[in-house]
Amino acid sequence: MLGAFKKQGGARVALLLLFLLAVAAAPETASAGDGTTTVLTQVGGVARWAALDRVAIVRAQPSRTAKKIATVSPITREYTSELFLALESLTKPNGEEWVRVRFPVLPNNRTGWVRRSVLGSYRIVRAHLVVDRARFTAILYRRGRRVFRSQVGVGQAQWPTPRGHFYIRNKLVGYFDPVYGPVAFGTSARSAVLTDWPGGGFIGIHGTNQPGILPGRVSHGCIRMPNRAIRKLARLMPVGTPLTIK
Amino acid sequence: MSELLTLEQVDQDGAIREAAERVEGDSRADFLRRAVLFGGAFAGGGAAVAALAKPASAASRNDVAILNFALTLEYLEAAFYTEAVRKGALSGRTLEFAQIVAGHERAHVAFLKKALGSAAVARPRFNFRGTTSNAAKFRATAAALEQTGVRAYGGQAANIDADAILKAAVSIFTVEARHAAWIRHILGQAPAPRAFETFLTMGQVLAAVARTGFIVAAPPFTGKHT
Repeated sequence: MLGAFKKQGGARVALLLLFLLAVAAAPETASAGDGTTTVLTQVGGVARWAALDRVAIVRAQPSRTAKKIATVSPITREYTSELFLALESLTKPNGEEWVRVRFPVLPNNRTGWVRRSVLGSYRIVRAHLVVDRARFTAILYRRGRRVFRSQVGVGQAQWPTPRGHFYIRNKLVGYFDPVYGPVAFGTSARSAVLTDWPGGGFIGIHGTNQPGILPGRVSHGCIRMPNRAIRKLARLMPVGTPLTIK
Repeated sequence: MSELLTLEQVDQDGAIREAAERVEGDSRADFLRRAVLFGGAFAGGGAAVAALAKPASAASRNDVAILNFALTLEYLEAAFYTEAVRKGALSGRTLEFAQIVAGHERAHVAFLKKALGSAAVARPRFNFRGTTSNAAKFRATAAALEQTGVRAYGGQAANIDADAILKAAVSIFTVEARHAAWIRHILGQAPAPRAFETFLTMGQVLAAVARTGFIVAAPPFTGKHT
């Protein structure tokens, strides 16, 4: 009897915890004349991302007639899903849903609007990577708690690592080039200088075969860290993680 | 029939020319050149291929993305079967399956590449992690790949803009479904276990492919100096 009661009590506690977790992750919603706005990502808190399920036309405003900023393919050059960081959604009175997204197109830090229908299901991430170009550090936070720190190399003065808010687009393993170490993350950040590089000058976070020159301004814009550190980061940081470079 | 078919011969109802007017982000001349080549390549095969001769007529950006998605999967399957046959670990009906399916998948690759022209994605590098040199692993992987292929094509059907592309995709889809049933039969499983199939989105398929580690993508932020 007592065992059954304890079991029931345990189940209630588990349900309560699940409820609290769900409430904590639930997006904030506000209504106005032009529709209902829902915050989907709070940097340093809960973030949401979604893979593209079809070609996305990114517009300056949440309207089919608004200026087109970019057209983005659902497949990346690395044969992974293209994904956008979902910042907020707007449901119009007519039911049409738009999402303001961060997307991997120059100029950096730009955001735009896409139809909800081009995106797959939202995925939740509670991690946040912060790269400090002055201190040459990368720190990963999860639920606000620091879980990883490494010294890094960043771009040289003529090829600076861009500053701003980005996200992790993909994680690459299994390639055969020691220059990048065992793991490389693709980010949504792009070099504003080396735009003619393969793939369009995307900024990566990767290992190295030259750990002796870290930390410092050593790269063409990518963020390098020792292989041991990048392996650990690969275990801790999922794709879709917001990235702040300051 | 020669490769020198005229556009008018291929496009008797004007569909290709009409589609060319609404191609986004593509030069009309290049589009029409591909349409003619495409028609020429398939015009010799009767009514079925006549339907396949039209995909190039509908190169909306969305359809190009879907065709490239399909091409990525077909590259993967073609490389998998070709390597398995070459490595010599298969025998009997498994070998027969691999040889025939390898030919089909290579034909799908050639078809999609021709349809896409210069818009085709490059062939990835692959590492099949031992699944092509062991018959049991090969059979299990083949079943998973074929099932994923079926669910991937099915998932895109409703997203395709052009009827001609849809016809081509369905013609590949049904063959992939037969491959899936065939390898299930070889494995001793029910060839058609359900009355209805569930499909996958593009994102779900690419995530599943990424989890296999079969596609080895070099970092794109490259040069030897980053």
